[in-house]
Amino acid sequence: MTAVLQQEQIEVPADPYDFYELSLEEQWGDGVPLIPPTDDYVQALIASTPYAGDHVVAILPPKQLVATVELIAINAAMAGVEPDALPLVIAALEALSAPEWNALGLTTTTSSVFPMLIVDGPGRDRFSIDYKASCMGGAAGRGSMTIGRAVALCLRNIGGQRAGDTTRSVFGQPARFGFCIGEWEERSPWPSLAERAGFSTDQDVVTVHGGKGTFPMADINNDDATDLVFLIAKSLAYPLSNLYLGGGENGEVVVAINPIWADRFKVPFPDVEDLQVFLQENAWQPLSSWPEANQEVFRKKGRVGKDDRMYLVERPDQIIPMVCGGLGSLHAIALPSFGESHIQSVAAQYAPR
Amino acid sequence: MSMVSTDDNRILVRKPTAAPSTEPAAPTFTVDGPIEGRRVGFRTDSAWRSWSLIADVWNGYLQRDGATTDTYETHGMIGDTGATDRAQIDKLAETVDFAIVGLGTCGSCTSFTIADSVAFEDHEKPVIAIVTEEFATHGHNVANHLGHGDLKVLVLPYPLEALPHEELLQIADDFYPKALELLGVTK
Repeated sequence: MTAVLQQEQIEVPADPYDFYELSLEEQWGDGVPLIPPTDDYVQALIASTPYAGDHVVAILPPKQLVATVELIAINAAMAGVEPDALPLVIAALEALSAPEWNALGLTTTTSSVFPMLIVDGPGRDRFSIDYKASCMGGAAGRGSMTIGRAVALCLRNIGGQRAGDTTRSVFGQPARFGFCIGEWEERSPWPSLAERAGFSTDQDVVTVHGGKGTFPMADINNDDATDLVFLIAKSLAYPLSNLYLGGGENGEVVVAINPIWADRFKVPFPDVEDLQVFLQENAWQPLSSWPEANQEVFRKKGRVGKDDRMYLVERPDQIIPMVCGGLGSLHAIALPSFGESHIQSVAAQYAPR
Repeated sequence: MSMVSTDDNRILVRKPTAAPSTEPAAPTFTVDGPIEGRRVGFRTDSAWRSWSLIADVWNGYLQRDGATTDTYETHGMIGDTGATDRAQIDKLAETVDFAIVGLGTCGSCTSFTIADSVAFEDHEKPVIAIVTEEFATHGHNVANHLGHGDLKVLVLPYPLEALPHEELLQIADDFYPKALELLGVTK
């Protein structure tokens, strides 16, 4: 059934360039050309969900405004989302609206943090979500580019997130245009993020991480897999990580491991839990790495661990390995945490076929 | 530059922005009396040493003037620490006569300073939120978005962090009377 649309209808130029200029003037966009949200397109998007257009998905900060399926579909249309992929956008917005994701904090912070979407399930290939070479930028899969962008546009146009105004992010980051990757489940020796969150492999699941950016690591000097994991752990514990601002009990770091390294790591760490324990136990720096005055602050906050070790996180489950990336090996990417945010996974709900 | 004439070449689309909230602002409250005999709540934040120092000074002044004070230092926004913080703030809001809540001197901490201030207004208690100049507009915006657009906000200089101890003490002295005035304290 075709949805009856409620949102105000407005007349705009049909010419793409003029529509682009209008979108800049009205501050609807992210600085890049948008697709006009015509009724046909918006209705096709809504039809892919099991919901009516006025179904409320979330209250989006900073302005605490209501995100209906219709409004989300309008923004998804402007981002160029494939009609059948709207449920993934909705799942992402549901995930970031979970209280423990802390959208109020993350949408207003001075930090660069932004929702980073990781997709598992058949929808990854169906919607061209990148998970192989250059998956974090450059691969240009439609799903990766448009689904992440739609979430960003919803935060702008529904939540009211505006740089320097309602969001105080000092630097922002490229992912604020939108960040959506897939997990290379078939090359992962461990259960996928979705399975670890309790979902099945035939579900399309969006995991949303409050990530501060992409933190690159590289190696050509280690033949031993455990040594290499040890160095990844050490690299995660950089002194000015957000995770050293708080007590270390909140927030997760996602570690994207390339398939070649994953094949090596599965030998000493066939269970992902063992890999996480090893990473957590070695993700620390000695207190002496910090200046004396800073050491005093940490002592007062009770942040210093046994033997004057400064552990990055309190628990192994706060370091989350996943497999993606090209077959060129040599690199890993961490998606560092804001700290006061817990990663969330939500399954996409599609219209009955 | 235009690729085609737009005068008679128009299409209909749907507006992508959400309508602003039209809810009226929640009521605010004032002390309307002297400090003596009052119980004052302080909310500090483990992140901000400058605010802890200023709050300590104000704490001393309030006790000197006959009030009792309860201070709660927050440590988190989410998880067990965040849940404990919000529960303790709510408990504080139940038991005190009025409150001073800070510090908003970053984006997320301003949001939570305002949100915790709202908890006091929800208990119909006078409260002021303390923010620094750089985050004053943001503080008012968040209060407005949370339906408490009339929340009283005291703006301190910016930046406070890394100021010498003596300068922070001077700021504490300079702004104490302003805090009382904003709360509606009378002699």
